[in-house]
Amino acid sequence: MGDYYDIDDILAEEDFVPVQFHKAVNGVKIDESSERGFVEQDSKAELPFWLARGLHLQQAISIKVPACFNRNTRLEIEADAGSVDLRSRCSYFYEFGCKVAPFCDKSIGLLVSYTFKARYKEVLYKAHTKAFAVASKIMNFLTKEETNLYEAAQSSMAAFRKWRMGGPRLQRASILGRKRKPAE
Amino acid sequence: MAGQSGSQLSLFTPDEVEFVAEDELVEIVPNLRMDSLNFICGDYGPFYPQIAIQVPLWLALALKKRGKCTIRPPQWMSIENLTQVLEGERESHAFQTLPFHYVEISRLLFDRARDDIPDVYMVRSLVEDIRDVRFHKVETNLENFTNSSLVLQWKNMAAMEVNIIRAFSGRALQAFYRHENEQAVPDLDRTQDRQPQNLNDRPRVCRSFCCIPIFPLHHWIDKIVFISCLLDYCPTIVFLWRAYCLFVVPLQRNLRPR
Repeated sequence: MGDYYDIDDILAEEDFVPVQFHKAVNGVKIDESSERGFVEQDSKAELPFWLARGLHLQQAISIKVPACFNRNTRLEIEADAGSVDLRSRCSYFYEFGCKVAPFCDKSIGLLVSYTFKARYKEVLYKAHTKAFAVASKIMNFLTKEETNLYEAAQSSMAAFRKWRMGGPRLQRASILGRKRKPAE
Repeated sequence: MAGQSGSQLSLFTPDEVEFVAEDELVEIVPNLRMDSLNFICGDYGPFYPQIAIQVPLWLALALKKRGKCTIRPPQWMSIENLTQVLEGERESHAFQTLPFHYVEISRLLFDRARDDIPDVYMVRSLVEDIRDVRFHKVETNLENFTNSSLVLQWKNMAAMEVNIIRAFSGRALQAFYRHENEQAVPDLDRTQDRQPQNLNDRPRVCRSFCCIPIFPLHHWIDKIVFISCLLDYCPTIVFLWRAYCLFVVPLQRNLRPR
């Protein structure tokens, strides 16, 4: 289930999923526009995933497919996975898909793994040699996980280039360069 | 930095890889007479003028800096050999046999011992070409990661190339593993007694990939003490260290068969 304290895990569960209530619920105001303080049976709402999972285990709701895995996205991914802007849809696309898949639609797991493989083949494996200007354009499309990979590659390549240029092996600490203030 | 975790992977900076590379032996021709140097990592025999001797690279560079020797470029750094290696790299998909630290050794020699290498510009351009071709091959291999295998083995990669892709490929393998598993999980019957996942299946990036031997400490100590010997620095430390070498090390060596 991932680390309890892992910040990426926590953020990945923040996204909303559409749910349908099986039971009537008293005393909560989920929909701000409604005046009444309870939710009727068979009404639809959007809840954050961490809440929806807890309620699902108590069999109070059923979870529907979230918006970022709907038909439109699937078609776009099948057309050209490398240029789909996943960050605007859901910046934790892969983790979120892995969490949601057991609850609503098992094919989400396949979709997620297919997307990752396709994007890796088209975009990510070139991360080491892409120039910096192009890289910053591409980074706007990537989810958090992919950005992690991309930045790891870019930074290790940059470190190698810097090493190759040479330069002094010992670096002067910046604090030594400052002039001392007169102690008066 | 060594040991700094980016998601539990140990990462090395290029300088650290270079430091480890300096342990390789090279041949030098000293121009001074000196008694043998007894280090913790080994003894480097008495130095006679114009008699070639094998020493670690760090020692060779230190002597060269003080003008006390000339370094003979290693066998693999001749123009014929490099041309052959370059041809081989261009023709086949596999990596040609080159010393593990060829990138670092060649860079150090070009920087510090340029006049000792015949045709240095030609050699330099050949080494750069070889490096480019090999890195291009590394990239092509990276593209084929998607064959969901838990173990990848590429032969004859050099230390610096491994270091460049270490962080990236470690994380990529982890991501692939996670997605393969998530794909498998919904297919399992979600009964009460699900078998615990076998932790040994996780992709273990092979030992030599992850753990370049960390900081041979004796080498580091030897380096510092040697330099201070030559500069007459900190005589107390030098005295204590000499005492250690003279009395303690031979005892240890006698007790432990080499």
